[in-house]
Amino acid sequence: MFSHDFSTQLIKTIGVGIGLVDTATGKMVSFNETFGIWFAEAAPERPVLECLDMLDADDIESIRAGRMVELKTKVKRRTLIIELRGHLADHMGHELLVLEGQNISRLRETEAMIDSYATMVDRRTRDLEREKTQVEKLLLNLMPQSVYEEYRTFGSVTPRLFEPVSVLMLDFVGFTQMAAAADPTVTVSELNDIFTAFDRISEMHGCERIKTVGDCYMAVTGLPHPTTDHMLSAARCAAKMLRYLEHRNHTHQHKWSARIGIASGSVVGSVVGVQKYIYDVFGPAVNCAARLQALSNPMEITVCTTARAELEEEFELKNARAENLRGFGEMRVACLSERAPAIRAA
Amino acid sequence: MSICTQSTHKLPLFDRYGGLSALRHVIMLFYDRVLDSDVVGDFFEDVDMARLIDHQTKFFTMILGGPARFADERLAAAHAHLNVTHAQFDEIIMLLRDTLETANFTPADRETTVAAIEARRAIIVTGDGPCSRMTSAHS
Repeated sequence: MFSHDFSTQLIKTIGVGIGLVDTATGKMVSFNETFGIWFAEAAPERPVLECLDMLDADDIESIRAGRMVELKTKVKRRTLIIELRGHLADHMGHELLVLEGQNISRLRETEAMIDSYATMVDRRTRDLEREKTQVEKLLLNLMPQSVYEEYRTFGSVTPRLFEPVSVLMLDFVGFTQMAAAADPTVTVSELNDIFTAFDRISEMHGCERIKTVGDCYMAVTGLPHPTTDHMLSAARCAAKMLRYLEHRNHTHQHKWSARIGIASGSVVGSVVGVQKYIYDVFGPAVNCAARLQALSNPMEITVCTTARAELEEEFELKNARAENLRGFGEMRVACLSERAPAIRAA
Repeated sequence: MSICTQSTHKLPLFDRYGGLSALRHVIMLFYDRVLDSDVVGDFFEDVDMARLIDHQTKFFTMILGGPARFADERLAAAHAHLNVTHAQFDEIIMLLRDTLETANFTPADRETTVAAIEARRAIIVTGDGPCSRMTSAHS
């Protein structure tokens, strides 16, 4: 057991503030050092309501009844928050109210800090969510949804063979001269409008825009999800792009004229680059589409005649001929034009 | 062929010293020191504690590279009416150095943190007192 002196010493110096009040007179009997530091007005034989002038008679009654009272007191410049509770004790026939105070200032400060931090983190989380959505939108412009999903899940994209697909390659006639002759900012702004319209047309026909390089627009059907009518979809898409340009040229000062080539075959799709990356496709179909596009006259679509069976119902293949394509040798090609709806029905 | 997702950047002080826990330690130590200081203590005497802690939390989090933004405009607004002098600002810097040392920040990290606050001296100091860096009278 601890000695009486030790217990007294402990009570004197402990961080808990202890004060004794004679309930009959309402005067302080005694208090420890901590209590004295917190309540500078405290003195033996002084009424407790003067010693703790922030309390009133109701507070003392509450404490007597076993309830906790929270009060503020100032020590030098610091405002302390004290949690005061009490219990009754008997000392040689006198009823004493033992006041026991806990300094909860640090707790309150920590709570305030955590509240502040939580608000900050919530705000940051919302900002990050917004940024994430923006980044996702950007990445979805760079790569197909399924490729993006793969990148997000695994942190990398495995090159994948897509077969068969159709590649649509479009290039504008005289773009360089147009850009030089007119205000380049106007030209680029118009190009942006046109490519935006092409994106919408591509989307309608299940065509995935892969990239634009200058005035060249490249899109693929049958990627990333295989389809049996990829050639027909690409042809419909190409026809609608030319129709859009024709319509636009009626109402705009600058006349835009495009050449289109469509080729079927296999491509490998992958993300290229690390810091500045782009989703791209590679393969003979890409090169072939570029050669066919170069063969086209302005506002013409050139295809290989091997796709005749798939296209004939909706399109007429004109000017069928053999052409020697660099890297591919001799190839039967033709120009595609839409059949009139009446002929189609017949 | 893959896209690099690992950041190679050095972690901010906020993370290196233990995030929220370190922040709490620094703020509480600093709060005690400024209240005890006879040079700047009066500024903090009757300030609403929750509001002061809120400002300090956001400010220190930002200074230590944590997830907070504390605009210079807000810092200026919070100090505009106080007429803080250079001498008082110097005291704050001294107390902060002391706080960071107690919180076991390395000398280099202490100086990095202090430099970030020094960079805002012109925003905080609006009083007419002499600048210790410019006058030999102040010590």
